[in-house]
Amino acid sequence: MVGFNKWNKVKTLAIFLLPSLIGMTVFVILPIISSLGLSFTKWDLIGDIQWVGMANYSRVIKDPNIHGALWHTLQFIAGYLPSVMIISLGVAMLLNQKLKGVVFFRALYFIPVITSWVAVSMIWKWLLNPEYGIVNYLLSLIGIAGPGWLVDADWAMIGVILTSVWKDIGFITVIYLAGLQEIPGHLYEAAAIDGVNGWQKFRHITWPMLSSTTFFVVTISLINSFQVFDQVWVMTEGGPAGATSVMVQQIYLNAFRYYKMGYASAISWVLFIIIFAFTFAQNRMQKKWGYSDE
Amino acid sequence: MNKSRMKKIGMYLLLTIGAIAMILPFLWMLSTSLKSSNVTFVLPPKWIPDNPNLESYRQVFETVPMGRFFFNSIFVAVISTFFQVLICSMAGYAFARIQFKGREVLFYVYLATLMVPQQVTLTPLFIMMNMLGWANTYQALILPGIFSAFGTFLMRQFFMGIPNSIEEAAFIDGAGYVTIFFRIIIHLAKPVFATLFIFAFMASWNNFLWPLIITTDTTHMTLPLGLASLKGRWTTDWNVLMAGTLVSIVPMMFVYIFTQKYIIKGLTHTGLK
Amino acid sequence: MKKWTSFALIFILVVSVLSGCTSTEAPAATEEPAATEEPTAAEPVTVKYMTFSAAPDHIADLEAMILAFEKENPGIKVDYETVGWDDYFTKLQTQVASKTESDTFELNYENFVTYASKNALYDMDALMAKDTAFDPSVFNETALNAFQLNGKQYGLVESFSNVVMFYNKDLFDAAGVAYPDPSWTWQDELAAAQKLTDADAGVWGTFAPIQFWEFYKTIEQNGGKIFNEDKTEVLIDSKENVETLTWMIDKINKYNVTPNDAKMSGQSDGDMFKAGKIAMLRSGIWMFGLFADADFNWDIALEPGNTQKAHHFFSNGVAISKNTKNPEAAWEWVKFYTSSQEAAEIRVASSWELPALTDETLLAAYLEQSPPESREVVFEALNTLVVPPVIESWNELTDIVGQELEQAKLGQKTPEKALQDAKTALEQLIQ
Repeated sequence: MVGFNKWNKVKTLAIFLLPSLIGMTVFVILPIISSLGLSFTKWDLIGDIQWVGMANYSRVIKDPNIHGALWHTLQFIAGYLPSVMIISLGVAMLLNQKLKGVVFFRALYFIPVITSWVAVSMIWKWLLNPEYGIVNYLLSLIGIAGPGWLVDADWAMIGVILTSVWKDIGFITVIYLAGLQEIPGHLYEAAAIDGVNGWQKFRHITWPMLSSTTFFVVTISLINSFQVFDQVWVMTEGGPAGATSVMVQQIYLNAFRYYKMGYASAISWVLFIIIFAFTFAQNRMQKKWGYSDE
Repeated sequence: MNKSRMKKIGMYLLLTIGAIAMILPFLWMLSTSLKSSNVTFVLPPKWIPDNPNLESYRQVFETVPMGRFFFNSIFVAVISTFFQVLICSMAGYAFARIQFKGREVLFYVYLATLMVPQQVTLTPLFIMMNMLGWANTYQALILPGIFSAFGTFLMRQFFMGIPNSIEEAAFIDGAGYVTIFFRIIIHLAKPVFATLFIFAFMASWNNFLWPLIITTDTTHMTLPLGLASLKGRWTTDWNVLMAGTLVSIVPMMFVYIFTQKYIIKGLTHTGLK
Repeated sequence: MKKWTSFALIFILVVSVLSGCTSTEAPAATEEPAATEEPTAAEPVTVKYMTFSAAPDHIADLEAMILAFEKENPGIKVDYETVGWDDYFTKLQTQVASKTESDTFELNYENFVTYASKNALYDMDALMAKDTAFDPSVFNETALNAFQLNGKQYGLVESFSNVVMFYNKDLFDAAGVAYPDPSWTWQDELAAAQKLTDADAGVWGTFAPIQFWEFYKTIEQNGGKIFNEDKTEVLIDSKENVETLTWMIDKINKYNVTPNDAKMSGQSDGDMFKAGKIAMLRSGIWMFGLFADADFNWDIALEPGNTQKAHHFFSNGVAISKNTKNPEAAWEWVKFYTSSQEAAEIRVASSWELPALTDETLLAAYLEQSPPESREVVFEALNTLVVPPVIESWNELTDIVGQELEQAKLGQKTPEKALQDAKTALEQLIQ
């Protein structure tokens, strides 16, 4: 950079980064480090803290409840992540058109995002009702006998995924919309002059130009979906018979129902390692495939 | 011409089908909230209440000090949103644009903070706040919400998308990073500022677990706590709960529509360069 | 230099707003002592009380009790805090972890045992001995003793609710079936349920949820237990218990007199009863209010048993924190709140569960209310009360057994296998 000496750079960095760094350290990183410390202890929150070394971790690795929860969490991610990404991008591109009333539609699509999970679960339990639900009614029109959804152990997770995708479309759409705004219009104008068709425009302009947005959306959605909990808790409480029990549910139960803060922390750190590994791999992969962030 | 007309109709059709699916729960909440007390959830559901009335809304305001909770929620959300947008955008800019040693590692540390579930960091944070003597205060409600790795990450990604040429021109004119950021970048990045604004506001508005634990009197409690107290141990008046929920999402809706105006404005400004 | 001015501006803004938060806070903190209007009296002691049972329906009743208490005890001020049941223990634990919990707090019986075992509660024996005005005989003895651990009183019983059998009289009349009476056994219930079930109209004969609480009560109706007397041995997989669980599940799958989850989906059993779709329902007396405006006649009866009768209950008590600075004041409040005439009258009048007191006139006021007509059943059921098999790791116990029961219900396991698996898990728990 032109005429930029070292002292100047330090000052600039301090202005831009220091407020964030201090706050993050105090209010975010310190509690996280404390939880790492707690993961080596036995603590019921009421009595004294007892050091137990790696005992919690060796238990996590052997705990069948954790294995089940991890497996269900991965099932959730496999179903949720691709669907929500593709649908949201589609919706964002539709809502980015110069259509009359598009602002109105944008507002409607955001409603599920701001609606509480309690209300959402009530309505979706009804939509997915095996006897009276709309979903099974629509399926019956094309000759399919719908499953029991949330009350059927084999289908409950799919029901949860369906509901989660529906609720989060608006959230990811908003991010993609902002990303679409950043694409300079002259690129499309030039393409229009060259007579490029819609798919080619998407393939060669929109998609590459959205790469940093996509990187963000994939990373955040991956991290968040590993921590899926709220919707499971209000819709199925992990049931039927534990078929939808997920990782953060195990953490919640151990921390606040079973009085095992140390064990809950250890599960969290195992989950952390898994999320970190996935995020890191995904990061590398996106870089390799070209639509990276840098 | 005809083809583009067909295309338009197709798009409207798609949007409308989607919109119906999206608005369904909202209508259900509205319908439930207008029903009389003690009308239970029976299948198949009744969409039009027999005798619509506002009794549930009156009950919400009677059970919960809504005025105070509204004020607290708005106060906390506005302040933490303002500072979150400011601090995250500046940090995000540093991560995106300023070369420094350890940038990559520090960025991963930020990302990593998103990977530890809140359930286990809550108790340490609470104990820390108590040591500071901040339990049941506004600063305890606001401060932890300001510093967001999510927001920093979001801003970083968008600043990366802005062409370098704009800054280079400014550097040649002798401007520093601070000037460039506040004079140029902020104006270019309006859509993403609006996006972070809505997310930050929403996060603060819906935050439940932290206010639950850190507040101990109604002077400091926020709306989600009020809504939670409408649920009973054995039975819940769903119509009252839905009325409360509906009232509580109205401000969010306004904030969303307000920020969307800036995203549209961004539309006309792009292509500028 | 321009950049520095803009930065300084922002910095000042940050600092001023943050200190603004603090300074708006400061007067609020000093306000409380200033607000006490009697300069002559000594500074009143404040007792904090946290409760889950007051919100959302009984906040006004709680305030009335506090008002009456403060009138009687001018030196003590009570600050209450209500938290919904779902989140109450999350909050309480976090507060206990940093020793900032309220002076007094409400505990349901099961969690009382957990907190008392973990030594978080104040031993009330000394306070009781010192208080000459306190007469423990005003309480129902069994209920009061439930809030002891190892012979020491760690809480006073506040209230209880029990579970009885609700029945829809109109459906019984229409099917020409005689109303349930105390002599009924499971077989009588089944015979009636089969006559009452009308698949075409979507009406089901009988309903009992398959979950832990219902299970521990139902096994006792068949002479079974979960643990032996001193809770050192797990008996959950006994022959009687397998028989009981089979009976509970057969009502759904074999006899088709109880709806399965798919048939119910989304509706609660209470919703279905109120809609006239269930003829007999085992549920708590907290449903009285909800069913009061049902458009059919209903009443309650004792539950049928198999080899013996058994009824279960839910009870709440109030404990004093081990960390309180004002145990005497806290005691006065707890005593007043759980056992005073004034508080009990408010409680009965507003149907805020039932006080566990022996005063006959209070009970008379309760019995006068209707529906249901046979309110005396609520008290008759107490004669065959069974106490939950509480251990320190209670929540884990209920989750483990609950999960196994659900697997048996869904046919993933036979009742034998489910109860055997429960036994293995519970043995680890009580080690």
